[in-house]
Amino acid sequence: MPDLVAWYRCARLTAGVFLLLAALSGCASLVPQTMGLRDTWPAGVAVQTELGEVPFFPQQDYQCGPAALATTLVNAGAQVTPEELVKLVYIPARLGSLQIEMLAAPRRYSRVSYQLAPRFDDLLREVAAGNPVIVLQDTGVGSITNWHYAVVIGFDYPAGELYLRSGETKRLAIPFTVFEYTWKKSNYWAMVTVPPDRIPVTATEAGYLASIVAMERVSKPHAAIMAYATFLKRWPDNLTASIGLANGRHTLGELSEAEAVLRRAADRHPDSVVALNNLAQTLSDQKRDDEALAIIERAVALGGSFAAAALETRELILRRIKGSK
Amino acid sequence: MGVYMKSATRMICRFLILVMAMLPFQTGQASMIGTDQVNSAAAVQVDRTVVLDYLSRSQTVNELQTLGLDAQAARDRVAAMTDEEVSTLAGKISALPAGADGGLALLVLVVFFIWYFAFRR
Repeated sequence: MPDLVAWYRCARLTAGVFLLLAALSGCASLVPQTMGLRDTWPAGVAVQTELGEVPFFPQQDYQCGPAALATTLVNAGAQVTPEELVKLVYIPARLGSLQIEMLAAPRRYSRVSYQLAPRFDDLLREVAAGNPVIVLQDTGVGSITNWHYAVVIGFDYPAGELYLRSGETKRLAIPFTVFEYTWKKSNYWAMVTVPPDRIPVTATEAGYLASIVAMERVSKPHAAIMAYATFLKRWPDNLTASIGLANGRHTLGELSEAEAVLRRAADRHPDSVVALNNLAQTLSDQKRDDEALAIIERAVALGGSFAAAALETRELILRRIKGSK
Repeated sequence: MGVYMKSATRMICRFLILVMAMLPFQTGQASMIGTDQVNSAAAVQVDRTVVLDYLSRSQTVNELQTLGLDAQAARDRVAAMTDEEVSTLAGKISALPAGADGGLALLVLVVFFIWYFAFRR
């Protein structure tokens, strides 16, 4: 019966096509960003790059966190060893390191840590710009999880590979698909550590400002000043960064520099109680209390959530004026 | 005990926030207003030392200690974190991913072996 044979062949072909489509769409949903790269490669990024100079610290025991962090920190000019970082990021009973601590530790070395947006594009752009990227991977399968930090140091898109400093391997070549599969499970978690005079290429104004403010807490004042100054070159209108720069100068006793920054900030943001308050304080600290009083009156008149601080500053200035007479 | 501890610490935390909201905030140096206050997303200005003190007494440090850290190390580490990061961590240290092991599991390589050659970009 030739009809039956033809029908059978047709059915087999249809089933085959269905299976192939299902498999393809399955792959696309497993590694959606790799599939996205096929359509649009990030503009302005070379398809091939490798940061061969990035140092390598083979991990000891379960300490891939300290090893990965030492890799990017030393690359950013910090003097640090993985052993030192064990004390800052390793949790013995967890046999590992938490993401938050990975972000927090670089601040102690006056380096800015910045968490990237969860995009392959951003990862590639940072590497292409010379910033090695720490990634969190889950190298387990199914319900078995096996969290691991590695550092992406390059890629070769035509060859389909990324290059990582990973564990005890100095240069691990890994296909884009496999990498995305392991990286996806950490919600594409990635971070860079940069010296304060450098801004990550994918940094957003708000995100990077938060990173500097976080660093300022524990870094050296010079580093915070440099970070804010660098930030202001790129985003000159940012009020918080101006406040940060001025506060750093004020801490170091560089009052006239602080005053110049705050005057510019107060000109650009005439309604900022914080800029006026800090300017008044800085003037008063230079024994120019009459000028300071005029400025703080403006701040007090504006009110708002910093009104209490402004009132306190005015009290202080009035006391100083009284004391000098 | 975990549930009771958690609700107890939550109560303490709320109480502290309330207390701090009623207190005028302190600034470190004279009356310069700091960037963390300006940049804070929260309406309440949380005093860092209060948070640290709270943490040092709370379940979180106990948790860190049971995980092998001494109290001083735990406090030092927390000092480098933002308020947001501290609150993300509180009570969840055992549940969050901790990057540890090196290398790729063999199984992953096997699963992707064929796929690699078929769809490697």
